[in-house]
Amino acid sequence: MPDIALHHVSKRYDPGAAPAVADLDLLIEEGEFMCLLGPSGCGKSTTLRLIAGLESLSEGEIRLGDRLVDSRARGCFVPAEQRNLGLVFQSYALWPHLTVAQNIEFGLKLRKQDAPRRRATLDQVLQTLGIEAYRHRYPAQLSGGQQQRVALARMLAVQPEILLLDEPLSNLDARLRLEMRTELKRIHRQLGTTMLFVTHDQWEAMALATRIAVMKDGQLQQLGTPHEIYETPANRFVAEFVGTPPINLVELSLPSPLASQLTRYLGTCGRWQPGIEAVGIRPERIQVLGGEPDLADPALLLSAHLTSLLPTGGSWILELTVAGDRLHLCTQTPPSWAEGASLWLRVRAEDLHLFDSQGRRLAAPRPAAPTPRTPCSQPVMEIA
Amino acid sequence: MTSLSPALPLWRRVGYPLRQHWHRLRYQGQQLRQNPTSLLGLGLLLLFGYFIAVPVVSLLLDGVQVQFGDERRLGADTGAWTWHYLERTLFSAVAQSQFWTPLGHTLRIALWVVLLCLLVGGLLAWLLTRSDLPARRWLATALIVPYMLPAWTFAMAWLALFRNRSIGGQPGWLETLGVQPPDWLAYGELPITLILALNYIPFVILLLGNALRRLDAQLEDSARILGAGGLTIALRILLPLLLPALLSACLLIFAKVLGEFGVSYVLGLPVNYNVLSTSLFRSIALRQTGSAAVLAGAIMLLGLLSLGLDALLLREARKFITVGGKGSLHRRHPLGRWRWPALGLAGLLFVVSVLLPLLVLLLSTLMRVPGDFSLANFTLDFWLGRDLPFVAERHGVLLSPNLWRAAWNTLWIVGTAAIAAGLLGLLTGYVVVRSPWRPLGLLLRQLTFFPYLVPGVAFAAAYLSLFAEPRGPLPALYGTVTLLILALIADEMPYASRAGLSAMLQLGKDPEEAAQMAGAGWWQRLIRVVIPIQKGALVSGMLLPFISGINGLSLFVILAVPSTDVLTTYALRLLDYNYPQAANAVVLLVCLMALVGTLLTQRLTHTNLAEGLGH
Repeated sequence: MPDIALHHVSKRYDPGAAPAVADLDLLIEEGEFMCLLGPSGCGKSTTLRLIAGLESLSEGEIRLGDRLVDSRARGCFVPAEQRNLGLVFQSYALWPHLTVAQNIEFGLKLRKQDAPRRRATLDQVLQTLGIEAYRHRYPAQLSGGQQQRVALARMLAVQPEILLLDEPLSNLDARLRLEMRTELKRIHRQLGTTMLFVTHDQWEAMALATRIAVMKDGQLQQLGTPHEIYETPANRFVAEFVGTPPINLVELSLPSPLASQLTRYLGTCGRWQPGIEAVGIRPERIQVLGGEPDLADPALLLSAHLTSLLPTGGSWILELTVAGDRLHLCTQTPPSWAEGASLWLRVRAEDLHLFDSQGRRLAAPRPAAPTPRTPCSQPVMEIA
Repeated sequence: MTSLSPALPLWRRVGYPLRQHWHRLRYQGQQLRQNPTSLLGLGLLLLFGYFIAVPVVSLLLDGVQVQFGDERRLGADTGAWTWHYLERTLFSAVAQSQFWTPLGHTLRIALWVVLLCLLVGGLLAWLLTRSDLPARRWLATALIVPYMLPAWTFAMAWLALFRNRSIGGQPGWLETLGVQPPDWLAYGELPITLILALNYIPFVILLLGNALRRLDAQLEDSARILGAGGLTIALRILLPLLLPALLSACLLIFAKVLGEFGVSYVLGLPVNYNVLSTSLFRSIALRQTGSAAVLAGAIMLLGLLSLGLDALLLREARKFITVGGKGSLHRRHPLGRWRWPALGLAGLLFVVSVLLPLLVLLLSTLMRVPGDFSLANFTLDFWLGRDLPFVAERHGVLLSPNLWRAAWNTLWIVGTAAIAAGLLGLLTGYVVVRSPWRPLGLLLRQLTFFPYLVPGVAFAAAYLSLFAEPRGPLPALYGTVTLLILALIADEMPYASRAGLSAMLQLGKDPEEAAQMAGAGWWQRLIRVVIPIQKGALVSGMLLPFISGINGLSLFVILAVPSTDVLTTYALRLLDYNYPQAANAVVLLVCLMALVGTLLTQRLTHTNLAEGLGH
């Protein structure tokens, strides 16, 4: 199983236009299950098509293992059909004039496999994906989920070294999606194939990927494990794109009571550094206190009004105002407050994400000594 | 890599950029090999350039170059530039009868035809799609029938009815019945206009009906909820939204009538009534190639102008056109007490445009003396008789070897051309949709559509003059079937390429790319994925040209020689021999072939023929 190496890859569709992919450096390691995540139009699908060989590069080079497959400067382009990759399309792209079995056998026939071997492979993939019953049906006679399985089976049958998936689950309903996620994860474990898939659905990315590459405007924003992406977003875009409800961002440059309270808090707890432009707080990391706050608490304490309460089934989203600024909060415990109630909120210092004026994350300077407790909580009180 | 320091040795300074250049070339070569769509497109461009553009250009050049035989009179060598033919055709003493009068006739006929088609066709399109007209399903099929039949069939039927003493030969029905029809009723402008209008009404019904069907009924409903009455809705909502379809129908009919030959030839000749295309035919027959070129140029120019106008107006109209998603939910307007008169109108149209002509033709093949309805006058001799007292055919047509030879010729000549045209059409559609190089697609589209504007007579003449002697890789083709087939293919390309294009537009890239991922090269993708998926479209792309080819007259009139006799030319010759019964019998057979072909197309592809344009 080879790795996939993208080296300074750019793709321009029109000479004058902005590049769809700009100077992308990415190494997808052997046996990895990597996800390209980003909003539509961020260049993630283009990246996938470049790796597949369905598009050609404008600059840079792509290697699969030690095989150079695309480099304009070196005059090398290996067409898609010779790269030994599998690609599952968003639309499934099953051939409507062939039955399920014929669809799956197509690639095997092209590889000149003899009939008994073909039959064996066919039986095996049909069984793996649980679609034996549909062998002689045409794609039009299958449901979306079944078509999805056939599309996957068709690519698995030829045993590609690398499997690419372009928004493979986006056309399925919620239940099927969950089922197929498990299926994909199982296949990856079973075959150990290097897998790369593209999605705009953060849950899918979080659930499946060993590493996630977040993209925006053709540029890589952050590369890391799902945990890293969530806990230490590299910039404001990643912080805002990952997580629902989205992260609360407070602009420190805009004069507001909350902003000045945050500024003071950062100073007192020792996290202040020059250039902080915005502070992000994840809704699920805000805690509602049962009663009056403990003044010795080193955490950030905020007095807020509950303006709106949105149940979402197992959890609740609270909309609050802190002296005119709106915050969202997410909790799993059934709230006991009515709309309009006054509450105390608590946020730990390490749960504050700091961003500079370019939106880049400011790493928290590891405090040399533990911060003194009392001064931190002191100024908080007057605001409410 | 551009800032090469002068310290480098010379071979590196020169060699490095050279190698870069070579790499870039190789890269493009590799991509071209992987996806030779553009190469295929270039091939098609060359092919169509040779068989469409070159004949047209050479035809037009004939109008400004001294023609063979005119050297002495014009005092210049063959091929020298001259204004002579333009002057002669447009300003000389013969200009009036050769150009200006026919031009006036053509324009008058074309405008009247468009107007009649629009009024009758528009009303019927609405009745058939939006009202509770009785028997609308049956009528929707029945009223389209004239569209499948050759227009000159109607001319033959008209002649059988109204023929008078102005021309010799057998009498018309009315004459036998004791009424002498006047010339203005029997020949010339009135019958030509009426017949062409009847022939093109289905075209409006199809195009407008389609547009009406696709129009979201909610657009009308919202207007009604806001308090708009029926007339307001029709004028302020429906009309603007249907304008593109209306304009297209009008201008396509207009362009087609300009080059129309058969009807004007059959009905205009007896009273010396000329339109541009018959005047063109006469020039060709008289070997006045220069004048013929000017006339053909004038027809093409008018066609181009009307299409240009269409494109211009369409661009305006497209700004507000919406095609509804769920347009199929239609409430039908109750016609109330107008229900039966409306049915009467639709029925009348069916009788006049289908039943009557075909019946007249059929009866005329069964009567010894036309129009005499006594039982003794009826006979099957013209179909099945032996030893008949006619010079042209001694036996009934069904027993005549000439008929079967002509039928066989029609089938295989037109069939070959249709299969070739269908394949080329699909390939053209493929290149237009898939080629990364846009101008190529655009050029191919324009080029393949161009024969629509060239009158068949002129196109045939151009072929004759161009390929009569060896040209490039082609040997001299005068009088050969090859020439006829080539001309037919070129002439049918507008329909074939449209069919191919609309089929390819509906096929996304995914199936092909999936095949590529499975390891299929370009040819394998084309043969094992694209063509099988497009099977139905391919068949309809072949049958449409086939029907149109069977009906065609103008190409055959000029390019067919006795050995390549087809049904249409055979019918015309029988008419020339003054044997209308047999001629009409042959015409009926042509109609039958065209009808069967059309029904087959619709059955095979479940498609609507509106996409295929006029005849």
